[in-house]
Order: sequence, then C-alpha cells, then structure tokens
Amino acid sequence: MIKVRIPTPLRPMTGGKNEVEVAGNTIAEIIDNLGSAHPGIKERLYDEQGEVRRFINIYVNEEDIRFLTGKETPLKDGDEVSIIPAIAGGR
Amino acid sequence: MLHIPSGIIQDMIAHARELAPHECCGILSGKQETVVECYRITNILATMSKQELSRFDGAKLSDLQRLSPEERADIAFQMDAREMAMAQRDIRTKGHDLLGFYHSHTFSPARPSQTDITIAMEFESYRTKLNLPEPLHLIVSLEQAAHPVIKAYRIQEAQPTEISIQPTG
Repeated sequence: MIKVRIPTPLRPMTGGKNEVEVAGNTIAEIIDNLGSAHPGIKERLYDEQGEVRRFINIYVNEEDIRFLTGKETPLKDGDEVSIIPAIAGGR
Repeated sequence: MLHIPSGIIQDMIAHARELAPHECCGILSGKQETVVECYRITNILATMSKQELSRFDGAKLSDLQRLSPEERADIAFQMDAREMAMAQRDIRTKGHDLLGFYHSHTFSPARPSQTDITIAMEFESYRTKLNLPEPLHLIVSLEQAAHPVIKAYRIQEAQPTEISIQPTG
C-alpha cells in the first residue's frame, strides 16, 4: 500500500483525511484506485485529455513525477505520494 | 533582510509590466538571504483564451474549494505546475535554495491579499514534507505605474511580516 497525501481542497472527498493508503504499482493505478474509493477526486486531478492538470504537481517522495516517468512512474512499498496544487494568489 | 541584485529587481518589474493588466508570477532562488536567480513562471490565467476564461471556475482551477466565493473571484494568478517543478529542479541542481515566490499586483498595494495569505498557508502545510525551506512572498505593485514598489513578506500563522529588501550590485 502506498501512502497518498491529500491537499486540503480535496479532503472533503476523502472524508477529511489528509492521508489515505491506496494500492497500486504506478501513479496511474494509484489515481484510478483513489478515484474508485473517493468518487470525483480523479476528475480534479486529470484534465479532459487524461493528463495531470496544469496546476497540480504530484510527487513521489520528494521528486515530481514529471521528472520520473509521469503517470507510469513505478511505486514500491514505503513510497509516499503527495498531491500539491501549484502556487496561486489574489489581487 | 533579503539581498536582491538590482538586475533581478528590474527584471521582476519588467515582468510585471509586460503582463499587466494580468499578474505575473515567479520564483526566486539563492543562498541564505541573497537572491541569485529569478525564474519567470507562466500565470496560466493570463494565457487562457477568452473562451477558456468564460468557463473559468476559480475553485476548480486552483483546486481551492475552501476559499470563500469572494476569495475565489479574487484569484488572479495560478502558476504553471510544470514550470514550477522545472524551476525547483534547476534550483536543486545548482545547489541553491528556493527563497521566495513573487507576483504582481497591478492595481493594488504591495501587500498580501487575504487570498495570498490563505494560499501561502496552504503551501506551508506541504513544504516541510517536501523538505523545502520557508519561502518569502514578494509582491511587485504597479499601483503607481511610474513608481513600482516591491516588498517581501514572511507569512506565518496567517500573519504577514515585512522583510526589508536590500538591492545589491
């Protein structure tokens, strides 16, 4: 099982949990399984083309998956996945 | 005290002016209290077509559902996540630290808005887990077009504290 850190905005979909444990051998599998367990969350992470949205970073441990092998990044027991919105701000 | 080379100060002001009336955004890196590099990051709100913007849902875009409707409407910049990640990797490769984020306020003073503070606190909740240093938040104000102002803040427990900027070189 892989520990996935959930950002505050998505916690309503995980029953308020800031971390959930999800099965999967790759990021894509983790997100599929996350979406099955917590409906709606997958759509928040992927755009209409099925790519990670332009304002979302997904990290495996301390590395962004864009610098690993993207959604196909393999995972092993003990890895930690963090979902983090990019910085935004107001006027 | 944050030391910033004059050239980087001028570059942040130029960036703000180029994107006005949209806000610009970027990342500053360096060592300890001295900035050595500035990374311009695309404000994805500024690159959206009118058609895309007409479908813009601030909450969805920023995934910041916890914001009040007023704060959602206030969202004016959203960094491109890929560029942000690439900058962070470059910073790490060079052995520098992420020192701060900057953005512009085109019509308002150089101080954090409530939305800026809320989002800074959100980032604060992640950064220690990613082993990132505490960033400063810099704002370039073009409120007085001929006299741009840059101020830096540390935001802790939702309270901004101004940190003085010392231009160098």
